[in-house]
Amino acid sequence: MHTVAAAFIGTVAFALLFGVPRRYYFGCGFIGAAGWLAYLVLEAAGLTATEATFFAALLVALLSRFAAVWQKCPSTVFLIAGIFPLVPGAGIYWTSYHLVMGELASALSTGFAAAKTAVAIVLGIILVFEIPGRFFHPRIRQM
Amino acid sequence: MPADSQAQREQQVLETAMEAGHILLENGAEISRVEETMERITRHFGVDSGDFFVLSNGIFTTGGSASGRFARVEHIPVHGAQMDRVVAVNQLSREVEAGKLTLEETAARLKEIRRSPGKRFGVQVLASAVGSAAFCVLFGGSLRDAQAAFIAGLLLYCYVLRLSAPHLSKLVGSMGGGSLVSLVCVLLRTAGMGDSLSYMIIGSIIPLVPGVAFVNGIRDIADGDYISGAVRMLDALLVFFGVAIGVGFVLTVSSRLGGGAWL
Repeated sequence: MHTVAAAFIGTVAFALLFGVPRRYYFGCGFIGAAGWLAYLVLEAAGLTATEATFFAALLVALLSRFAAVWQKCPSTVFLIAGIFPLVPGAGIYWTSYHLVMGELASALSTGFAAAKTAVAIVLGIILVFEIPGRFFHPRIRQM
Repeated sequence: MPADSQAQREQQVLETAMEAGHILLENGAEISRVEETMERITRHFGVDSGDFFVLSNGIFTTGGSASGRFARVEHIPVHGAQMDRVVAVNQLSREVEAGKLTLEETAARLKEIRRSPGKRFGVQVLASAVGSAAFCVLFGGSLRDAQAAFIAGLLLYCYVLRLSAPHLSKLVGSMGGGSLVSLVCVLLRTAGMGDSLSYMIIGSIIPLVPGVAFVNGIRDIADGDYISGAVRMLDALLVFFGVAIGVGFVLTVSSRLGGGAWL
């Protein structure tokens, strides 16, 4: 559970790094933590890492769009920071690590897993951005 | 309205729209948002002849009528994303559409947004350090690992802001970043800090992850802006590879020198 708190803090730190205005920090942190929590729960429930990442990315993108309509600002603000805990940053390291150690099979499988994770994120985001803006708010124009 | 002054006004409108597009593109907005905002501004100020073609690093604008033509190409190199400027221009374009601003006021506001100061050096470095430590814990590191990642993240962003971003190419910059972080972590580990070198490094390379390029690339491709989307994805991929190469290089050398005892 303490990693969810870490996801919140980490997401806020990156929101700051990308120059997100201060009033959106909490939203960014919340979305990042929610995405990571969803990932943990789904993985514990028996999904593979790729599937769990896909559903977590869906959630992050959905929340970002709701937050964007609610706060009247571009959804990118929330999406870029919120997706960070799901991005296969650790995958890059392990791939490189196994390569260096001469463990080619492990390098391939970790590299492939990282690529699958990236594709899962892409799919999750693309699907959510296909939903018409009306769904998020009937009267406010889509952001 | 006499033809001359009408042409002049049209030019002003298109220039203002271009300035807005410039700020958006430069600071990490999606292509569709840039196009939409530019269209919204020109249409509101009564210029229907504007045509825009936006790529990930350039804007092409033509417009005008028989009384005067306007055509301009602007090259916009990608640099660090400043989300607050995207938010500010977005807000501005809403106000323009609501009819709250004149053309002159809009231009003045844009100039102001462009001049708005970014986050201070110390704040960014600290954010990178905190982010590194938090992601170290997130990916399974201990609190002792997080302390080391904090230091590495701190040094990393000094490097990014002072050397890599202003002077180095993307690929070399990220290779250097990956190496620097790994080197710092190896040294800290040898000095007895942290428990696991792997988690220390994983945490501290996260600030190098090209999140903005990755997410925007996805969104551009989803919007059908394939050229820009592909370029941004390639940008993200190059950085990913650069970091991996940098990390791998330092790990190999240090394991040869130290017999791999700390790996």
